[in-house]
Amino acid sequence: MAKQGLSRIELLQGTLDLIVLQTLRWGPRHGYGIAQMIRASSRDVLHVDTGSLYPALHRLEKSGAIAAEWETSENRQRVRVYRLTAAGRKQLDAERSRWEQLSQAMAGIFTPPAPEPET
Amino acid sequence: MIKPWRRRHRDLELDEELAGHMRMAIEERVARGERREDAERAARREFGNVGVVKEVTREMWGGGWFERLLQDVRYGARTLRRSPGFTIVALSTLALGIGATTAMFTVVHAVLLRPLSYPRSDRLVRIAYDYPKSPFITEGGISDRQWVDARSRYRMFTRVAAFTPGLVTLTNAGDPVRLQEASVAAGLFETLGIMPALGRTFGRDDELVGGEPVVILGDALWRERFGADSNVVGRPITLDGVRHTVLGVMPQGFAYPLDARLWRPLRLQLAPNRFQILSVIGRLRDGATRAQALAELDALAAADRARDSMVARVTPLKDTVVGDVTRSLLVFAGAVGLVLLIACTNVANLLLMRATTRRREMAVRAALGAGRRRLVRQLVTESALLWVGAGVAGAGIAVAGVRALLALAPAGRIPRHGEIGVDAVALAFALVVSLGTGLIFGLIPALRATGSSVRDALAASARTMTGRDGRLRGALVMAEIAFALVLLTGAALMMESFIRLRRVELGFRPEGLASLTVDLPDATYQSAPAMQAAHEAVLDRLEKIRGVTSAAAVNFIPLGGPMIRGDIKVDGRTLPPSYLVAKPSVSPGYFRTMGIRLRLGREFTAQDAASSPHVVIVSESVARQIWPDLSPIGQRISNKDVPGPGDWLTVVGVVDDVGQTSIDVHREPAIYQPIQQLTQTFFLGHMSFIVRAVGDPALLLPMMRRALRDVDPNQPIGSIGTVESAISATVAEPLFQARLIGAFSIVALVLAAIGIYGVVAYSVAERTREIGIRVALGAGRGDVVGMVLRRLLVLLVPGVALGVAGALATTRVLSSLLFEIRPDDPATFISVAVLLAAVAIVAGMMPARRASRVDPLVALKEA
Repeated sequence: MAKQGLSRIELLQGTLDLIVLQTLRWGPRHGYGIAQMIRASSRDVLHVDTGSLYPALHRLEKSGAIAAEWETSENRQRVRVYRLTAAGRKQLDAERSRWEQLSQAMAGIFTPPAPEPET
Repeated sequence: MIKPWRRRHRDLELDEELAGHMRMAIEERVARGERREDAERAARREFGNVGVVKEVTREMWGGGWFERLLQDVRYGARTLRRSPGFTIVALSTLALGIGATTAMFTVVHAVLLRPLSYPRSDRLVRIAYDYPKSPFITEGGISDRQWVDARSRYRMFTRVAAFTPGLVTLTNAGDPVRLQEASVAAGLFETLGIMPALGRTFGRDDELVGGEPVVILGDALWRERFGADSNVVGRPITLDGVRHTVLGVMPQGFAYPLDARLWRPLRLQLAPNRFQILSVIGRLRDGATRAQALAELDALAAADRARDSMVARVTPLKDTVVGDVTRSLLVFAGAVGLVLLIACTNVANLLLMRATTRRREMAVRAALGAGRRRLVRQLVTESALLWVGAGVAGAGIAVAGVRALLALAPAGRIPRHGEIGVDAVALAFALVVSLGTGLIFGLIPALRATGSSVRDALAASARTMTGRDGRLRGALVMAEIAFALVLLTGAALMMESFIRLRRVELGFRPEGLASLTVDLPDATYQSAPAMQAAHEAVLDRLEKIRGVTSAAAVNFIPLGGPMIRGDIKVDGRTLPPSYLVAKPSVSPGYFRTMGIRLRLGREFTAQDAASSPHVVIVSESVARQIWPDLSPIGQRISNKDVPGPGDWLTVVGVVDDVGQTSIDVHREPAIYQPIQQLTQTFFLGHMSFIVRAVGDPALLLPMMRRALRDVDPNQPIGSIGTVESAISATVAEPLFQARLIGAFSIVALVLAAIGIYGVVAYSVAERTREIGIRVALGAGRGDVVGMVLRRLLVLLVPGVALGVAGALATTRVLSSLLFEIRPDDPATFISVAVLLAAVAIVAGMMPARRASRVDPLVALKEA
């Protein structure tokens, strides 16, 4: 069993889902396209490896957040294209607000508050 | 979930999707100006291991229970293969338990549970009448006159029919053969709802005395003796020397009542004082209940003013077919269930020990993210696999077991034996039992193995873990000891009962005796003198056989099946009305041949001829009952209710009592008449010839056959054999019961011993370090053995106590199967408990002795 892949999914789970959903917000895309877009929009910081990306895509597809279809590309190759569903849009909104709360909280932690006066 | 057949398609799609990803990556690199080979290599490196990616992606769809199950099964099978020792022991233990249980279920199902194979057989009942005031046992039968009067008056039945079973001799169709038959009223087949495969059934006309003799053949007889000839209808066959016309052939499998091979119309005996005892069956009208039918029968009896003397009974037909075998079958089923329980307990214990050693594995898997539910499911699947595997093997054992059971069971004692076979229901039962016990007995160890927290498990090393597990294992062994004790006690009671049965004083000396029984047909011999002449001729020839010291004849041989009983009148005295005596008739020399002691007077001689004064010999208890105060010799008794001057028999001798009908009735009062002085063919046709041999009586059997053939070549032999083997046959059933229960209990004992050994050995292994320290601190061998044995006693004493209590509560069900021993016989209980305790201590002694040899240096170093 792919322990390597598994552990990475667990590390990224949730976060990766959010990133994928956010990426698909700009329109349907195939797996390779999603990977490239994450890379580009994170300014080359996030490299999502295939062993995490495809399980995430298939998991989101199964949960109904995204839907997949086969399309024929310009050079007549079949590609599997994912798009956001209504449920996925809702999930994205929910997860984004959670993420925002989390990042605010993290920011709070890293920015030490003014020491409380002792009583 | 993804259905398995859709999976392949999804696999191909995933391949295509990932290949597309790779292709696009390469193309982009090429477009950026890389060389194609470099681009491919780089893309592949970036992509990672394609197989791994596929597998982890596929896991995302694998949400279906079926997929997970397959995965668990595969994993479980691998784990079991990795520990073959454990797997073999567990599998064979369980297969034995499940196999035996399934075999017993097969028999119980076919005999007791499955409806009779007649249409709507739940509507069929036996109509019986008991005569509480009569000393005779009629088994619910009614007379011909009663039947004729009643048959048209039943309103709660759509049909009723009477029958009486019998035996008949078939000649001119291969060797002469004696066959079970039934004389049946018109409508019997219609009542049961089974019509002939060929020809027609009997009508009312066929019942008239003097009508043309007709017969309906059973399928098996038709095949064996008439070559399954479809033109047999209308052909003549010879029964008891009389031509009968074949009217029809019944379909395969039909043999009601009592394995009948052929059927003849009931010939009603309506003359005064002539009657047969008829059994009556009926089919209840739709909507009528048994209670309503019974009320109707009671009302009819009341209308006939017969209510005081006759009590009606309405029993489901199946109960009468199955009869008294129910209890012993249920006892066997209970016994086999205990064996299964012990087997399951044993394996649960093994699993528990394994689980303890695997606790670290479980903890590591839990730390890697597997949930407890998932781990429990995995472990339960593993044990279910074990149980189902055992179930499959058990089904094979059951097939063999059922065959063995039917072969070893005393002939003719299992009703409906033709219907017994391991069928779909039995296999389903095996599956349900294995899955059910697997889940229950697999769940406990699984919950235990995964229950403790990760930290505890990782912190503690396996060898120091006792506590809760130890207690559970102890409880399981205790239960095992108790179960085994219950079974052993039952078996010991049956064995002891059988031994006492065989020790019964018979009143005669069976060793050295051989007997040959015939039924001379009235139709061939016609008269009493003709039969008596035949007896003489056979006896003459038997006496001339070398090695025969004496020969004699008796119409109803002791322990040989039927017996005539009746009341007697005594000259000058009155007897209680219920005083019945056996009434065999014998030839001169009978008592000498049988070895029955003559106490007073003389035996019969050739001088006691038909024309001589009629004489009688009484058995000792008859003499004591009737003439306690004076010598019976010269006294007169009679068989007639109102004896005329010629009906008196003079007592000429007194002999010992003998067991007449069965060993367990002990000796019975009897009166003997000389066969030469009988005048009714009814008492002369059925005759047993007995010889006393110098050596082995079995060697004389061929000569005895020839003697009969010389006298009447058409006369079939009813039965032939040594008297000892005939007596063994009468106790074959208790012997079979005792052996079967004994076999189960030995299996139980061995399993319990294995269980005890396992638990003690494991606890010794767990405590090696502790023992090492003790030895290092100066504990002697005896101390160590004592320490281990004390732990065993803690299990043994309550186990035995529980077992004794359980046995006291359950052996009562055996009481009807036991002879002269109480189901709570203290001696049996004590000896069984002692035996079990001894076996337990021996089983525990082995690991205890090993523990005492622990080398403290090694034990502490290993730890």
